[in-house]
Amino acid sequence: MAKKSRPSTLSVYLYVPNIIGYVRILMNCYAFAICFKNKYLFSLLYFVSFVCDALDGWFARKLNQVSTFGAVLDMVTDKYLLVVRLISTTCLLVVLSQVYRLGLIFLSLLALDIACHWLQMYSTFLVGKSSHKDVKDSSSWLFKLYYRNRKFMGYCCVSCEVLYIILFLLANNPTENLIEMKTAADACILYDIAKKQ
Amino acid sequence: MAKKSRPSTLSVYLYVPNIIGYVRILMNCYAFAICFKNKYLFSLLYFVSFVCDALDGYFARKLNQVSTFGAVLDMVTDRISTACLLVVLSQVYRPGLIFLSLLALDIASHWFQMYSTFLVGKSSHKDVKDSSSWLFKLYYRNRKFMGYCCVSCEVLYIILFLLANNPTENLIEVLSNVSTRNWLYLTLLPLSLVGWAIKQLINIIQMKTAADACILYDIAKKQ
Repeated sequence: MAKKSRPSTLSVYLYVPNIIGYVRILMNCYAFAICFKNKYLFSLLYFVSFVCDALDGWFARKLNQVSTFGAVLDMVTDKYLLVVRLISTTCLLVVLSQVYRLGLIFLSLLALDIACHWLQMYSTFLVGKSSHKDVKDSSSWLFKLYYRNRKFMGYCCVSCEVLYIILFLLANNPTENLIEMKTAADACILYDIAKKQ
Repeated sequence: MAKKSRPSTLSVYLYVPNIIGYVRILMNCYAFAICFKNKYLFSLLYFVSFVCDALDGYFARKLNQVSTFGAVLDMVTDRISTACLLVVLSQVYRPGLIFLSLLALDIASHWFQMYSTFLVGKSSHKDVKDSSSWLFKLYYRNRKFMGYCCVSCEVLYIILFLLANNPTENLIEVLSNVSTRNWLYLTLLPLSLVGWAIKQLINIIQMKTAADACILYDIAKKQ
């Protein structure tokens, strides 16, 4: 962090990346309130919020406005989104009761996502690492690959978001569309595997 | 944690309070699965799960089975079950935005508090000694007062859920028509509104205090 005269707490709350953070939270509250009524507006807002997530880090470094408060705000928004996503998708899939079983699998994955994020965060604090992204001593190759290669990490994160939006948009004719989506997902994975070779 | 010979991880997962925790999770899943088909059963199960929340802390202390895993499990279950109810309310009532904002406040205040607690090194977010707000101190030092506020929130949300008959109710209309409903709602609603309001105020103060702590941490680190 660069040396500067002591900022008052208010000035830190008004840092540009933090303001982007507040806008993200408000945008998401509104987006999830209308998510079943206007799916396209929801998808747009959700996507914009995801772009802002990338932007605020960039602005923080560019304008020298990196702060612990900003990092925690980011994590809080992330947690909020995880929880609201899980629940909205649950509502969506319960209403579309034909896909109950497939929906349960998807839900378990989302619940697993949340549980992992929370538990990881806590264990990181207890062990004293500065960020859960500094993984040096894990023996899992996938784990190391994920955290050391920022592009790989970015790709996985973006994929989750895109898949999530697709699920929402496609939920008109449940059975057909989820099978289509699974086929599309498989195709993506095969494409990547082929690309790496 | 009490001194004992090193427990295997399996034995910690099988602690009585943690088992109560798993039962709570299953109960909540079932409750939310049937929440639109049988509102009263849902309310009962949700309330029972909330009572278990108090019970598992009691058992943990009584049986010497306090664990960090249990505390985290408890916190995650609480946050997710309250979140589910708030999201359901946001879809059932207009303006849904209110409930999603309350959810954001709930998650933000708890998470900021947890993080700043780790930074500053307090052992539990309930050990608050240096906050200047009298309301804050009252809340955390008097367990009955804290209990009343927490229970009020849950009771208020359950009442709102039970009061909603049509798919998209107008929140203000429903609240002003409550006098036409039975006396139980009429007594519980204002009581729980007061406790709820205090809890939300506490959430805001907690979040602000914790956010300030993050900023002061940065300033201290530079020196």
